[in-house]
Amino acid sequence: MIIKDVVCPFCGCLCDDLDVEVEGQKVIKVQNGCALAEAKFTGSGRLPAPIRRTPTGWDDVSYDDAIRETAEILVAADRPLLYGWSSTHGDAQSMGVHIAELIGGVIDNTSTVCHGPSILAIQEVGHPGCTLGQVKNRADVIVYWGCNPTEAHPRHMSRYTTFATGFFVPEAQKDRTVIVVDTRRTESAEIADEFIRIERGGDYEVLSALRAIVRGKGNVVPKMVAGVSREQLFRVAEICKKAKFGAIFFGLGLTMSAGKYKNVRNAIELTDELNRHTKFTISPLRGHGNVYGSNEVFTWITGYPYAVDFSRGIAFYNPGETTAVDILRRGECDAALIVASDPGAHFPHAAAAHLAKIPTVLIDPHMTATTPLCRIQIPCTIAGIDAEGTAYRMDGVPIRYRKVITSSYPDDADILKKIHDRIREVQGS
Amino acid sequence: MKAILNTGRTVPQGEAVEHKASPTYRAVVSVCYMNPVDLMELGITEGAHVAVTSRTGRIVLTTWTSEGVSRGEIFVPLGPYANHIIAPETHATGMPDFKGETVDIVPTDEPVKDVGSLMEEIGGLRYDH
Ligand code: SF4
Repeated sequence: MIIKDVVCPFCGCLCDDLDVEVEGQKVIKVQNGCALAEAKFTGSGRLPAPIRRTPTGWDDVSYDDAIRETAEILVAADRPLLYGWSSTHGDAQSMGVHIAELIGGVIDNTSTVCHGPSILAIQEVGHPGCTLGQVKNRADVIVYWGCNPTEAHPRHMSRYTTFATGFFVPEAQKDRTVIVVDTRRTESAEIADEFIRIERGGDYEVLSALRAIVRGKGNVVPKMVAGVSREQLFRVAEICKKAKFGAIFFGLGLTMSAGKYKNVRNAIELTDELNRHTKFTISPLRGHGNVYGSNEVFTWITGYPYAVDFSRGIAFYNPGETTAVDILRRGECDAALIVASDPGAHFPHAAAAHLAKIPTVLIDPHMTATTPLCRIQIPCTIAGIDAEGTAYRMDGVPIRYRKVITSSYPDDADILKKIHDRIREVQGS
Repeated sequence: MKAILNTGRTVPQGEAVEHKASPTYRAVVSVCYMNPVDLMELGITEGAHVAVTSRTGRIVLTTWTSEGVSRGEIFVPLGPYANHIIAPETHATGMPDFKGETVDIVPTDEPVKDVGSLMEEIGGLRYDH
C-alpha cells in the first residue's frame, strides 16, 4: 500500500510530500524524501521491551514496573532534570512539562545545544521572520550563514530556495542569487553564486562590517575583515540591498562559535538594517523535526521556551544556570528523565557522565548512546511513523504527523501520562 | 599539531543516527576531516589514525582528506567521538563550544574504540542484545 503526503519527522523542514510504501507493518520504500528520510522510515534497531540495569548487565522489565519505578525515582529526587522532547509530538512534550511542574524539576529541550542562543538573541531584538512559503514564492536573494543545508536539511534548497520555482520566481536558478557564508567550503558553498569564506570565529566582525556598509559607513571597513576582502563585502551588501525580497537562514555556525547569541543578534540587526532598503527576513534552520514544537509547547504552558526550572514553585528561566549541560556539568541533578533525544551522543561527555551516576530513565524507541548511561529504558512509538501528533516546522507552522504503520509499542505521551498519574498517587494529591 | 575542532552534521551521520551501536555509525562519526596539507605535515595519508587531545579528553579517530577544511582546523561529525573531547563549559549561555575547541593531534596506531567502550569510560554499561 502506498500512503501519500506523509510528513517526514526527521528534520525541521518537515517535508509533507512523501509517498511511503508499506507492506504489513513495515515501511519498504520512501519516495520524494531525502536519504535521511529513507533511513528514518526504513530503520530498525528498536528496543523490543523495557530494560533495567543490574550491577552486571540488563534485565527485561514490564512496562508497568518500569513506569512505577520511574515515578518513584522522580518523586524521591530533590532536583530532577527532564530533558529532550524534540523528536516527539506536542502531547508528549506537554505531559513532560506537567510532570516537571508536579515534581518541582527542571525541564529543558534540545534547543539548549542547538538554537538556544538564537532564542536568546530573538528575546533581545526580535525576529523579523516569515514562513517558508513566502521564501519559496518571493525570495530572489538567499543567504545561508553558518549552515550546510545540503547535509543537514537536504531538501531545503529544492523545496524552498535555490532549486524551487515560486510564484514570483518562476525560474529558480536564474532568478535567485544564493550566498553562502561559512568557514568551510561545504557542498552548499559549491552551489552558491557567492561564497564568503570567513576565518573561524570571525562571524561577528563580518556581520558588523556588512551592517556598516549597508548603513552607508563603509569607509570604516578595513581591507580585510576576518579573512574576507572589503571588495567582496561591498559586492555582497549591494546584492542584498538590490534584492526584491531577501531571506537569511543561519545555523549552528553562529550559535556554537565564539560570540554565540551575540552573533545571532548581530545577524538580526543586519536584517533590520537591510529592511531600510528592501524586504529582508531571517530565520534559524532548526534541526530536530519538532524542536520548534518543544519551544512552542514549553512557552504556551510556562512562558519560557526552554531551560525552565520549577523548583521555586513557579516557572523560572535562566539559560546558563537552568540549562541541561550546566546542571549536569555541576553534578546538580539527582535524577533524570530523558525523552526523545540522545544526550549520551550529543552532550560533552564530561557533562553526560553525570547521567550514569544518578538514576536516569530513558524513554526512546531506539538503543542510543544514552542507553548505556541509563538505569531504565522504556521503548515507545516513533512520532510520525507509528504515532500521530502535532509538530511545528522550522518556520513555526504546525503540521500533523501521520501514522503510517501500527506497532505494539505504547505512545510516549501515554507512558508519560501514566508516570504523571502515578506521581500524583504517590504524592497523595 | 595544534588545531581548532569544528563539529557538525553530515548525511552519513544522519542516516546512521538511530543505529548508535552499529559499525556504520562508528565509522561515520569517528572521522577526522583534515586539509590534505595538514595531513602531509603530520606525515600520514588518508585513513591513518590520529589521537586528538583536548583539555578534557583524548580520542582516536580515522583521518579523511577534505579540501574544504581550512588548514589548522579539523572537522568531526557531531556525536559521541567529538563529544568525548569537548569541554562542558558554556560561558553562561547553556551552549558548549562545539565549534572552537583547541586540540592537539598526533599520529597513532591505536584502534578506534566503539561507542559502547566510550560510554563505559564515562560510567555506562553497554547493552548489546
Ligand atoms: S529535508 Fe528533512 S524533513 Fe525533508 S525529507 Fe529530508 S530529513 Fe525529512
